[in-house]
Amino acid sequence: MRAPSWVRVMLVHLVLLVVTVAALYPVLWVLKMALTPGQSFAVDPWPIPQTVTFENFAHVINTETSEGGWLFGRQLFNSLVISLSTAAVGLALSTSAAYALSRFKFVGKEAGMGAFLITQMFPGVVMLIPLYLLLDTMNLLDNLLGLVFVYATTSVPFSVWTLKGYFDTLPRELEEAAMMDGASRWQTFTQVVLPLATPALAVTGLFSFMTAWNEFILATTLVSKPEQFTLPIVLQRYVNDYNAEWGHFAAGAILVSLPVVALFFALQRYFVEGLTAGSVKG
Amino acid sequence: MATVTLDNLHKAYGETVVLDGVNVEVASGEYIVLVGPSGCGKSTLLRCIAGLETITAGELCIGGKRANERAPRDRGVAMVFQSYALYPHMTVRDNMAFALKVAKVSKKERYAQVDEAAALLELTPLLDRLPGQLSGGQRQRVAMGRAIVRRPDVFLFDEPLSNLDPALRGHMRVELKRMHRRLGATIVHVTHDQVEALTLADRIVVLDKGQVQQVGSPRDLFERPANVFVATFIGAPAMNLLPVIGEGETCRLEGLEQALPVSGTGAFTLGLRPSDMFLADSGIPGVVDVIESLGSEAMVHVTVGAHDVVVRAEEPVQVNSGDVVHLKLSTVHRFDGTTGRRLE
Amino acid sequence: MTALLLLLATASASEVTVWHSYSGAEQAALEQVADDWESTHPDDRVSLVALPFGGFDTKVDTAIPRGNGPDLFIAAHGNVAKWVLEGVIEPWTSDTTGIAPVGLDAFTVDEQLWGLPIATKSLVLLYDPSRIASPPQTTDELIAMARAETADGHYGLAYQAADPYFHAPWMHAFGAVAIDDDGTVSLDGDAQVQSFAFARRLAVDEGIAPTQPTGELVSRLYEDGDVTFVISGPWFTADLSRPVAAAPFPMVSETGLPARPYLTVDGIYQAKGAPSPELAQDLAWAIASAHGAQTRQDVGGQAVTWTATTGASPLVQTLRTQAETAIPMPTHPDISAVWEAQAYALRRVMRGSASPERAGREAQARFEQLQQKDVVEVSRSPYIAAFGVLLLGLVGMLVVRLRNPELRNELAATKWDYFWIGPAALAMIALVVTPFVLGAAVSLYAYQGGEWTFVGLSHFSDILLSRDFPITSPMSFFYTLAVTILWTVTNLTLHVSIGVALALVLREPWIRMRGMWRALLILPWAVPNYITALIWKSMFHAQYGAINKLLAIVTPGPGPVEFDWFAQFSTSFAANLATNTWLGFPFMMVVTLGALQAIPKDLEEAAEVDGAGYLTRLRHVVWPLLRPALLPAILLGSVWTFNMFNVVYLVSSGEPDGSTEILISEAYRWAFSRNNQYGYAAAYAVLIFGVLLVYSRAANRLVGRKVL
Repeated sequence: MRAPSWVRVMLVHLVLLVVTVAALYPVLWVLKMALTPGQSFAVDPWPIPQTVTFENFAHVINTETSEGGWLFGRQLFNSLVISLSTAAVGLALSTSAAYALSRFKFVGKEAGMGAFLITQMFPGVVMLIPLYLLLDTMNLLDNLLGLVFVYATTSVPFSVWTLKGYFDTLPRELEEAAMMDGASRWQTFTQVVLPLATPALAVTGLFSFMTAWNEFILATTLVSKPEQFTLPIVLQRYVNDYNAEWGHFAAGAILVSLPVVALFFALQRYFVEGLTAGSVKG
Repeated sequence: MATVTLDNLHKAYGETVVLDGVNVEVASGEYIVLVGPSGCGKSTLLRCIAGLETITAGELCIGGKRANERAPRDRGVAMVFQSYALYPHMTVRDNMAFALKVAKVSKKERYAQVDEAAALLELTPLLDRLPGQLSGGQRQRVAMGRAIVRRPDVFLFDEPLSNLDPALRGHMRVELKRMHRRLGATIVHVTHDQVEALTLADRIVVLDKGQVQQVGSPRDLFERPANVFVATFIGAPAMNLLPVIGEGETCRLEGLEQALPVSGTGAFTLGLRPSDMFLADSGIPGVVDVIESLGSEAMVHVTVGAHDVVVRAEEPVQVNSGDVVHLKLSTVHRFDGTTGRRLE
Repeated sequence: MTALLLLLATASASEVTVWHSYSGAEQAALEQVADDWESTHPDDRVSLVALPFGGFDTKVDTAIPRGNGPDLFIAAHGNVAKWVLEGVIEPWTSDTTGIAPVGLDAFTVDEQLWGLPIATKSLVLLYDPSRIASPPQTTDELIAMARAETADGHYGLAYQAADPYFHAPWMHAFGAVAIDDDGTVSLDGDAQVQSFAFARRLAVDEGIAPTQPTGELVSRLYEDGDVTFVISGPWFTADLSRPVAAAPFPMVSETGLPARPYLTVDGIYQAKGAPSPELAQDLAWAIASAHGAQTRQDVGGQAVTWTATTGASPLVQTLRTQAETAIPMPTHPDISAVWEAQAYALRRVMRGSASPERAGREAQARFEQLQQKDVVEVSRSPYIAAFGVLLLGLVGMLVVRLRNPELRNELAATKWDYFWIGPAALAMIALVVTPFVLGAAVSLYAYQGGEWTFVGLSHFSDILLSRDFPITSPMSFFYTLAVTILWTVTNLTLHVSIGVALALVLREPWIRMRGMWRALLILPWAVPNYITALIWKSMFHAQYGAINKLLAIVTPGPGPVEFDWFAQFSTSFAANLATNTWLGFPFMMVVTLGALQAIPKDLEEAAEVDGAGYLTRLRHVVWPLLRPALLPAILLGSVWTFNMFNVVYLVSSGEPDGSTEILISEAYRWAFSRNNQYGYAAAYAVLIFGVLLVYSRAANRLVGRKVL
């Protein structure tokens, strides 16, 4: 297709710039609050800080436990362990299910796919307390494992949906070739299908990771030991009804967001491919 | 090497019947080509043999033993897919070695076998490449190599040459023939290309609408087609079919005053291969419509009565479009006017 | 041997767990007290758990009855009656000598003490000592002084006028109370209405106070030296770097009565089932009394209830003085309904959208709607019978189907397939379906004062017949449903149009640095949405939000723009919408980018050769191919948006007057404010699910394939 005139090129770039600035504006604002000394809310609409200090970051990072331990490190570690485990467990649960839904023809398959999506419609509000009681019965309260299981299952429907869509686009002949080569269903799945599904696995893994990384309501309810707290719980404490430490909150928000943003950029190239397949095929 | 026997094989998806009582016996070491138009069930038949489709009814025996319920990997067959189905994330070497890997053959042993097969197919310099870095012909050879490495009793080829350009296809046909001779393997090859069938097969199975139309050597099929379908499907250009009415020693063609010098009674279909006619000074009259030149020969379309008849002629052809010509016949085929069956 | 084991057991170190939601200096003080206690109890340890303030009460309610609670927890006295009713706390039976009686009163229910008071909190009048020499004695003086102080950008007075807690001092001075001892509420009474009028005058008409102040905004104003008088509590001074002076509330000139704020008393509760009660009580006493109290006062700046501390700062001294006239916060179960109704009235009055009289009447009506109705127990037997019949029918159907030999063959042939889907299915059933079914079952019960009563389907009939509210009231289910649908439709429209437009631009080969634009544009998606929501809420602030500041730059005329985004439905809704659009467009953009890749370029080229312009190509070539690819994402997105709790709850919080609430946030309010009416909230949740289910079936039918 022909390139349009330079006027149009410039105009489109200008519009793109405006939209991008609008999209980044709140992010820049958080950055400004984090870098500006003090705990007040930024009022100046100009999103570039006048004075730059890292004391808010230092405060958040250096917060100590009552025993003098490194609280931030501990909670960062918890968040990482929980989120990575959630991604792993979530993928383990959803890949095989998505593959079965994509390839097999068993009784109740349609209903099964429907059921996974229907759970997306459950309003979370009423599930909090029953979930607490259930985990208590299973002895998984105050247990990071319990949190991982809850997050992982929460992420399953979307993962199954995305992965199934992606599996649908993979040519069946490859699997048939593997079967002719003597591979079992499971070998075919692990050695041929999964390596080919890397984009979708990366995307669903990232979303499972995010489910756990950003969540605080369940985390607050299901865990009561500070040594098991995750980062969002800590962040929550900076802004409450009585006082708002905006500087600390902003610094914390950036620290919490940073790993996810980094993962987003790292896995970006998989996004377009990994997500769309799911959506195209449904 | 093994025999393959299909005994009254049926395959249906719900109400749709794809294979309707197929009987074929493939001898050990035989090169069998399944040919037919698209949708005739030939690929399904191959997949039934491979074990990729379940058989609705009838029996499949490989090496004399019932194989209906056996898993693909237990049937001793290898398959080359139309798309080649090479694993995109594995190198050529790993693609070829995959079957041995899942069979738990030691790494040393399997690479030795891969090297051997690669040498045979001249793939040695490509072993460390990924399929995406290969040309179509190279991929085709890798797919062959992958099948060879398994040392199967039966090779199944599903349109293996259809994704190649014509020149390469001709070359690969020769390669396949050579490979068959060297390995002495039983091969079941599916194609819609009758040239491939004629050049490669020991015997050809012609399928249409899920039923076997004829089984025989290429010669048989060409010279004694069992019915109108086989007659038109085998041979290029296709046999001319003319509805005629026999009058004892001669017969009549609609729109033509002169009787044709072909004996027969009642209504029947007259089959004339383009190569079984020649232009002469006298004989059946017609008007030249179009001339297709093919270099050493030409196909002359002649309007005879109300029908278009294709005649092969040696180049240089001396006639022009619009000329009145006469045809002489050498061999003729007669088919039942209603059933289409060959009349002897 | 047994004796030895017993000895070992008692001698071994035991741990006392204390939950609290203190932060900053108060937390530091508590930690120091705990350390000191540990040094005198070498065998024992204290585990202090700082929980987020927001989830504290719910956690106490759920954890303690299941035996997962702490030994002690520190909380205000507000829930004491409720906790007594629920049986989550133990009475305090030991000595209380030395504790101020005002504190003890607050924790006394049915003449029994249920917690050990440790500190009082109340509002006081704070002022800038560099500007004011002696504090005002009457409100007329206050107003006069504040008026004199008010000049461009500087305010005389700042406080959260629309918050019932901050309004209470005036209310009391006019002789009104939020709720009587016998539970009578009259928000439309003369005294109440006069107090509304007074608050309106003070906070708006006099022009001495900023509009819409939030707690943090008041702090910021003071920190920047932009306000002289502030009404706030001890927490206000915690992170303040400028000097501040405190005085008890002035007398209200209109009535000649002192303004009396609410008194909140923090206390230590002993949780039911604490493993070592003696040790816990020992620690509680150590925190409450003598050295502990002194530490909390000196380090934490608390107005402690221990009468014998010395060297209190002027602020603490003021707080203690104020505590003498302050009125303990009511603990009646209906109080949260009063708060909500009164807050509603105050917002209306402050905005000028209703006269004090009318606002009072409306508030009274709203209170009566919110107030927990008397629960009528319903016989369970018809429900059990119906459930039994249903179950029997299902089992029967299953048996009939399983007797079909074809199905059984199929099942036998595919039985191994179930192992592939099994783990995910089991996990979903255990941790998603079961909690939902249990939660939904709650909708058949009413929860009141720690007791569950079976009420059958009456919640559903109340909601669906709009029995408690007129159908056009923001409180009615149908109103909220309409808002939710509007919310979903507008969001999806914006997400899709912006996402598709950007994707169309970004796929053009002549765009420079396509990778960079794409990376930057998906950034909003990567930031956790509760952070985003809080930031956007602040950006929409009338006086200090960035949005209005930006508007001031682009609109002609001098002076700041102080547009109140949350004062009317349209702009409040727009604020929510803007936030959620910001969050949601990147997903659609990415999905569209992928779907565009699948559209063969030659199709478009063919159209171009045929003479089709850009827009024609979009409409007739690109869009028809794009639509089927986007539909599933749109439908899933609509379900997510329908239940997008965080944005609505955090940005508009339903303002004005609950009109921008969506179903899920309304359900949350029923469950966690408004007296924990879990059953009613559960009925909402079931209805939400029902609506979505119907929607998804209809969508599938409309699209003609199964996408959702």
